[in-house]
Amino acid sequence: MTSVSTELASSKAVATEREARIRSFRRMPTYVAAYIILILGVVVSLFPYFLALMTALKAPDQIFSSSAWSLPHPATLQNFIDVVVKYNFLAFIWHTLIYAAVLTIGQLIFSTLAAYAFARMKFPGRDQIFWLYLATLMVPNIVTLIPLFIILRTFGLVNTWVGLVLPFVLGTPFGIFLMRQFFLTIPRDLENAARIDGAGTMQILFQVILPLSRPIMATLAIITFVQAWNTFLWPLIVTDTGDMRVLTVGIAAFQSNYGTQWNLMMAATFIALGPLLILFFLFQKHIVRSIHLSGFK
Amino acid sequence: MQRIRQDGGQSTAGVAVMDRSGAVKGRRLFKAERVLALQAYAFLLPSFLGLLVFSLIPIVAVAVISFFNWGLIGQPTFVGLKNYSLMFGSSSFWHSLLLTLYYVLLNIPMQTVFALLLALLLNQKLPGRGFFRTLFVVPWMATAVAMGIVWQWVFDPQYGTLNTFLSLFHITGPAWLSSTAWAMPSIAAVNIWQYTGYNMLFFLAGLQGIPPDFYEAASLDGAGPVQKFFTITLPLLSPTMFFVLVTDIIGSAQVFDTVYVMTQGGPGNATTVLNFTIFQQAFEFFHAGYASALSMALFALLLIVTLIQVLFFRSRTIYDLS
Repeated sequence: MTSVSTELASSKAVATEREARIRSFRRMPTYVAAYIILILGVVVSLFPYFLALMTALKAPDQIFSSSAWSLPHPATLQNFIDVVVKYNFLAFIWHTLIYAAVLTIGQLIFSTLAAYAFARMKFPGRDQIFWLYLATLMVPNIVTLIPLFIILRTFGLVNTWVGLVLPFVLGTPFGIFLMRQFFLTIPRDLENAARIDGAGTMQILFQVILPLSRPIMATLAIITFVQAWNTFLWPLIVTDTGDMRVLTVGIAAFQSNYGTQWNLMMAATFIALGPLLILFFLFQKHIVRSIHLSGFK
Repeated sequence: MQRIRQDGGQSTAGVAVMDRSGAVKGRRLFKAERVLALQAYAFLLPSFLGLLVFSLIPIVAVAVISFFNWGLIGQPTFVGLKNYSLMFGSSSFWHSLLLTLYYVLLNIPMQTVFALLLALLLNQKLPGRGFFRTLFVVPWMATAVAMGIVWQWVFDPQYGTLNTFLSLFHITGPAWLSSTAWAMPSIAAVNIWQYTGYNMLFFLAGLQGIPPDFYEAASLDGAGPVQKFFTITLPLLSPTMFFVLVTDIIGSAQVFDTVYVMTQGGPGNATTVLNFTIFQQAFEFFHAGYASALSMALFALLLIVTLIQVLFFRSRTIYDLS
């Protein structure tokens, strides 16, 4: 952009900002209504956690002697301490972190490549192959886990990090579908302009597509990470040693034939939740992209 | 700049290869096309390898097992189409199927509308929106087992949160999870609670992809917020909406965790959705062959439903207004 048009753009931005502030005053009642809806939504979203927290703060004997809604009396942090110290949850956090991080990185790399191919490249069989990817999502995974486990076992990959990670690290149809839908919305003019300037596919990918894709990649990263963090059935089947146990399996272990240790389970749930909340709050900014784009006028 | 054909292809779109007379340079195109196709295959290779080994082969295996009787241990015995004829003649299969559809209808519309509403709200420059965004996604972040247990407490007929809350308004709440009429809606409610924030994320990303210039232009033309929503927002959100609906319906039809933890298919068979039946058949009754046939049925159902959505969205999806 030339310096003249930059000036015009910035003075226009200042004027728009002023108008926006004036408009926002007139919209006070709408703001109030919006906040009421939002706060109601937060109450509905969070009250079960409040219940879980109270249980996590209770001593074992109080769990069975009173209703779930009674306040902890006395409130104790012993459950949290026990979960971390006695039940080895720090190790579980570490295992889960490795698992989730590896899957997320793999997803971001390989799903992006495949999605770009489906969205913007022309090749024989493009739509049919894409349908094939989509179709695999439609088969319930309960029964497919059996052959999948047998395959891993045949290659000696049970109870190994490679085996745990391999089926999902090369990108998933879900991630590819998501990225493809987003790539389809990027104006072709941008890519065509780059091609006229002589850019090759990789250059276009890195210099045009990726900078525009920050919101969707942040979304995909969060989703992949959280899904991996909370996945239960797969790690349960593939690992049976404590060296690789993940949080979900650790939490489920508080349920047994002798009864459930609610207080420990709820404390562990919060410990498992903590890192996710922190990571999410840090990353959710990237879902908001500051819109300075005026490059395709 | 010359208008490029919107055919998704690069065959004649490489503007550089069009000379002044408009003649297309045949051989150079052919090579360029081939290079691009090879590049595309290279991009696809890692995910396709993963898909082949860890997805396609197991799916084919399941399809094959459906023609056998297998108790998970020991040898499978070939029974041809018997599992399928059993399935189609079984009233509990059709019951499961209808329950699954009922659940999807309870679940998806409300979830989608709430998620869109929240995304629209939180896309505005409201102070504290990052905070709200995080909070709405929190329900999705806890393990299913723990949340299922907590929700059981919430739905408890006597001491549960819900009925206690209703009693403040002098309403006697039903026995929720033990009631044939309310069990399925209760599970749907838990799922809506869990996934609204998650879907909100997609809509937020989609909304962020809409250039504000469009809204400014519409304002200059005198369009009000409702008009802007229906003529700009909704059409440009259609790729996102397509994605959300397809993946949510596929995911929703495969609901299992919530049912397993909260009702175990009960009361009676009020919540025996198809995926739960599949689990029971495979791991409680050890009829892996029959469970495989059921899986194929669910697959076929989802294929049809997705196809309908693809056809619906094909003419209505605008990917690019340029």
